[in-house]
Amino acid sequence: MGKDKAERKRIKAEKLEAKLQKKHQKLENAGKFKLWRNHRPFWGATLSVLAGLLILYIPIQLYAIAFVPGSFAFVGFLFGGLVLILGVLAYLYPQFSTVLGVIIMFLSILSIMGALGGFLFGTIFGIVGGALCIAWKEQEIPHLPDQSKESKESNHLIDHSEVASTKSTT
Amino acid sequence: MKNLAARGVNLVETKMSVGFTVKKKFVAALICGLIVLGAMVGVFGMTGTALALPLGGMGDFYVQFDKLEGKGFEMLPQIGETGNSDASPMVRNKIEEATVYNLLIYKDLKLPDGKWIRVNIKGTQPTEIHGLIQDARYIEANLQFSNLGIHEKNTDDYTKNWSQSAEKVTITNAKIVTDYLFQTMVKLQGAKISIESIDKPETIN
Repeated sequence: MGKDKAERKRIKAEKLEAKLQKKHQKLENAGKFKLWRNHRPFWGATLSVLAGLLILYIPIQLYAIAFVPGSFAFVGFLFGGLVLILGVLAYLYPQFSTVLGVIIMFLSILSIMGALGGFLFGTIFGIVGGALCIAWKEQEIPHLPDQSKESKESNHLIDHSEVASTKSTT
Repeated sequence: MKNLAARGVNLVETKMSVGFTVKKKFVAALICGLIVLGAMVGVFGMTGTALALPLGGMGDFYVQFDKLEGKGFEMLPQIGETGNSDASPMVRNKIEEATVYNLLIYKDLKLPDGKWIRVNIKGTQPTEIHGLIQDARYIEANLQFSNLGIHEKNTDDYTKNWSQSAEKVTITNAKIVTDYLFQTMVKLQGAKISIESIDKPETIN
């Protein structure tokens, strides 16, 4: 039983590594934006920013009464603004993505009070965005440069130099 | 030797970081979020409570009730948008706590085929409201105040020019043409929503 578990774990780890290697190979020829995106929870942060804007829509429409004492529309402003800021922070500080994701989800759900959760779309986007931020991970993988290419290049170099050295000795 | 070194350097293992989403974590977080959302909506649904409910931006709608008992009443002048105009004179009623008996809110809507329908929201049990703000264009009702006071202020700001406040207010047999309604919290238990077809919309000018 224990061996089976270990075997399954090993296969999973191998699969994950293969997947990451594949992803990395794709990134080798990627542009600047794709590389920037790779180092942060891009989709989670983008959905969170969108959720923040949707949540803010209702309190902005109610700005006339938002600052009346006891008005919940003010709370809507606060929740929407915070979700928006946390979404932006997820771009800037990807190392805190888990904590930011949890807070984004929490505030998106609470935004039903005071902002009707951006007609519920803001809440749903916030939950999905927050979950994506929580689940995002950056992992270092050992990378061997493309060996087939490398070997061809290195063989080519050796041939050249060997020829050169034989020339000089003669 | 140099070539060997060069070959050696080429084969040195480098570490690169790759960002990815852990599916298991994502599904777990998503399910947790949806459960919390469901619980919150469920609690509000069971108690018939809605928080920060705005109704506005759709023109005139009608509010009718048999009796309203309110505490902390205030009436202010207001200019607001209606279905026919960008700025119409109105009054803004604010009531801190109110209990409304036999509340009926209705709105007449024109369908694309030219026919008219009326959407009715009826509270079969007393409706409890906290933090009511209402902009009314027309009020037809019997009003009873306790400790009524009228305050005037010499200012150009029309919203502060005068105000009327009362400790308690009782309104009976009311029909109010409303253009904006906001409640911090409303408990509309036993609500019935119905739609009926009508020949033409109700108009009060």
